[in-house]
Amino acid sequence: MREVRFTPDQAALDRFGASTRNSHRIHYEADFAREQGLDGTVVMAQLHGCLLFRAAARWAGDPVRVVSLGWHNRAPSGPGAELTVTVSVSEAGAVSEAGAPAGDGLVRLELTETGPDGAVCCLGYAVVRSGR
Amino acid sequence: MRPALREAEARALASLGHTGRRSLGRVRAVDAAAFAEAAGESDPRLTDPAHPGFLLHPMYLVSLLRGPGPAGQEELRPDGMYRDEVPGTDGLDVLLMAGGQRLTWHAPLLPEQELERTHRLDSVHRKGRRPAEFLVLVVHKTWSTPRQGLVVEADETFLVR
Repeated sequence: MREVRFTPDQAALDRFGASTRNSHRIHYEADFAREQGLDGTVVMAQLHGCLLFRAAARWAGDPVRVVSLGWHNRAPSGPGAELTVTVSVSEAGAVSEAGAPAGDGLVRLELTETGPDGAVCCLGYAVVRSGR
Repeated sequence: MRPALREAEARALASLGHTGRRSLGRVRAVDAAAFAEAAGESDPRLTDPAHPGFLLHPMYLVSLLRGPGPAGQEELRPDGMYRDEVPGTDGLDVLLMAGGQRLTWHAPLLPEQELERTHRLDSVHRKGRRPAEFLVLVVHKTWSTPRQGLVVEADETFLVR
């Protein structure tokens, strides 16, 4: 099992938002985010996705080996909170791109992203081409 | 169900299956590298365009909401989201949240190509119980270039409250 850890601060959210042209105010304005029922500004879903992707790519050894990636957002996280992604090989093990067992070198990984209190922020999976 | 949510549902149902297109412009290696840096990436294959194994970060194109150039104020909702990002919600007093994504890559995107995104609303479902009902919308998206064809596709889920 390998972990990916990242603690985005508000500057990181600003940079990430600028690079993706994302202007949704819940990522930048704490007062506005609180008006929306959040505790403050929140990490972008795509940034969570990047951490899940990174975990899968590291497991596979190369970013190009990541064939597919999926996740559900479970709970928001804010700037300053350390995010940790853990990886495990699913019991299904090798899968075809359609999800059926196959001996074509594809492996399904289960991905869990948690915040500093252990709460699950995202649950996901990746299918990677195994270089192992 | 609140009137605004009911209206969003009616609009969404009316737009089921319609495909929209948007140019995201020419994708530059330096922009993808800046994206990777902003995401905290340390792999030089994703952060250093001069690296012999440099690759446009696969998450970059699926995270990119617009092409180059400034967005006009008329393109934005009061909350800063693009008015056309979640089908059927333009101008309505509803809260929007990202629910999740399923992405499949077909080929690594090569730099300096014109990227086009399509989006099509595939499903609309009610969830929850009164008075906390909400809508779950699933939008199918594709990203392609004239030279490479389809490079990635996604099913993106939005929650509308």
